[in-house]
Amino acid sequence: MNSNNGTGAKARRYAILTVVSAILCAPLVFVVSIALSSDHTTNSMSFSFFPTEWHWENFVRVFNSGLPIGRFILNSLMIVIPACIFMTFSSALVSYGFARLNAPGKNILFVIVLSTMMIPGQVLMIPQFILFRTLGWVNTLLPIIVPNLFANAYNVFLMRQFITRIPTELDEAAEIDGLGYFGIFNRIILPMMIPVLAAVCVFTFSANWGSFFGPLLYINDEDKMPLALGLQVLSAQSSGAQTPPWNMIMVGSLILILPVLIVYYFAQKYLYESGMMAGSAGIK
Amino acid sequence: MSSATAVSKPRKKRKGMTRKTREALAFYACVSPWIFGFVVFTAVPMFASLFLSFTDWDSFQTPNWVGIQNYVKAFTDDPLFWKVLGHTFYYAIVSVPLSLLIALYLSNLLARDFKGKRIYRTIIYLPSLVPLVSAGLIFKWLLKPEDGPIDAVLSIFGIHGPAWLLDANWVIPAIIMLSLWQVGGGTILLISAINGVPKELYEAAELDGAGHYRTFWNITFPMITPILFFNLVTGIIGAFQVFDQVYIMTAGGPDNASQMMVPYIYNSAFKDFHMGYASALAWILFVIIMVISGAVLKSSDAWVFYESEVKK
Repeated sequence: MNSNNGTGAKARRYAILTVVSAILCAPLVFVVSIALSSDHTTNSMSFSFFPTEWHWENFVRVFNSGLPIGRFILNSLMIVIPACIFMTFSSALVSYGFARLNAPGKNILFVIVLSTMMIPGQVLMIPQFILFRTLGWVNTLLPIIVPNLFANAYNVFLMRQFITRIPTELDEAAEIDGLGYFGIFNRIILPMMIPVLAAVCVFTFSANWGSFFGPLLYINDEDKMPLALGLQVLSAQSSGAQTPPWNMIMVGSLILILPVLIVYYFAQKYLYESGMMAGSAGIK
Repeated sequence: MSSATAVSKPRKKRKGMTRKTREALAFYACVSPWIFGFVVFTAVPMFASLFLSFTDWDSFQTPNWVGIQNYVKAFTDDPLFWKVLGHTFYYAIVSVPLSLLIALYLSNLLARDFKGKRIYRTIIYLPSLVPLVSAGLIFKWLLKPEDGPIDAVLSIFGIHGPAWLLDANWVIPAIIMLSLWQVGGGTILLISAINGVPKELYEAAELDGAGHYRTFWNITFPMITPILFFNLVTGIIGAFQVFDQVYIMTAGGPDNASQMMVPYIYNSAFKDFHMGYASALAWILFVIIMVISGAVLKSSDAWVFYESEVKK
């Protein structure tokens, strides 16, 4: 498309993108400014848009602010790490089955996979709550961790689309060399899936790191809360008589945002350059 | 989903049979993690919730069968239900198409090569990486009436901004604003889709002397319809399931002006302990999402272009 654009169009592109970027970025700049504000500024609500104060110690203070922020972070990690590992690999295995192996009942199962994407989690929320209550898992992290270990439909669908673009000749060659189905998966398919594995890992990370609804349902004790829920509790508790400690809330928000940014930074080349999304045609 | 060959099977099935069985076994071994998760966390809970929706269960006593009473109550005897349903539709109908159009426009500006593409892409994607809890808190602050930053910006232009989250007419547009802030997620999917369009097609279009708009409408657009469609379906499903934003920014207020289906279901179940009624509401929502997704799915034959179908 570039070739059809004159310099005028080019300038217009930069102008539009710069304006849009500025608008989208502004809230985050403001968050940083609030996070770096002194308590005095917070109490008088006299924040400026660009940071004028640099209270970096807020990032240390938040850990001693009466909230177990360190504990929150640890809890979030306990949710995210197993989810990333098991979700990514179980989805890969399942998608390999759907992409490459034939069996009676396969088509029906795949239709079920696709239709589960339409089920609102809320239809399942009450029975799942009963299930976990029966298991004695309420007020533990297990109801949030365990369901995220098993392949989910969205990831299976995405990965299956990706595998279908890998030439089957590779499998056939490997089979002639004596590899079984799992050997082919392990040695041929899995290494070629790295971009989509990375993408699913990023999606799983960001979905679980900020997970709010599950913890809201299941967690009562403050020291068992993940960061997202802890932050909400912090902002809701303090909105009574005194001003909420907005600088601390925004420091907390930044701590919640930062790991997602770091993970994204390292995975972004897979997200754009693998062209894997183009393969997810054929949602039918 | 390539179907097995329909041609009559060759005589020699000695090896074929075992191979087929072996393959089937391997298939079921591979998909077993999904089957386990599906049965335990989806299928059984679904039947349980369907059952509960016909009871008066309050989460403590044994449930009594009340037939379709919960469904009748929702449609005829709960004025809040229609209000909440209306808000949910309002949110979905405005935010989904708007997000899609903006994502389509931005992805066209951001695709292919140009200087600084990485920076622009990152900035535009950045907000969608912000967890909804943080985003909700940030917007709650930005939208503060009078001295909030958004009203402050508006006042520069001489506009007296509304009280946003406290104003029944502006609270849903405010929540929609948050969804537009996170338009980057859909945008990156479209960027990779555009980058996946074979370059030869553009070269051919250029040789034919096609202009910018014709190239877009005749090549880019049809080639990325599968991803647009994917964004549309997941967008609709997501919009009808909005929860975090509402819970954090307004808790459904003021006076239920921003209450939506899922927070309403949550309240019915875990605040009022009307588990049976909440289950019925969840099923109504499920059917609505199914019907709309089904309609969109059906329409896809008319406008979604699959390369594989042409090759056939």
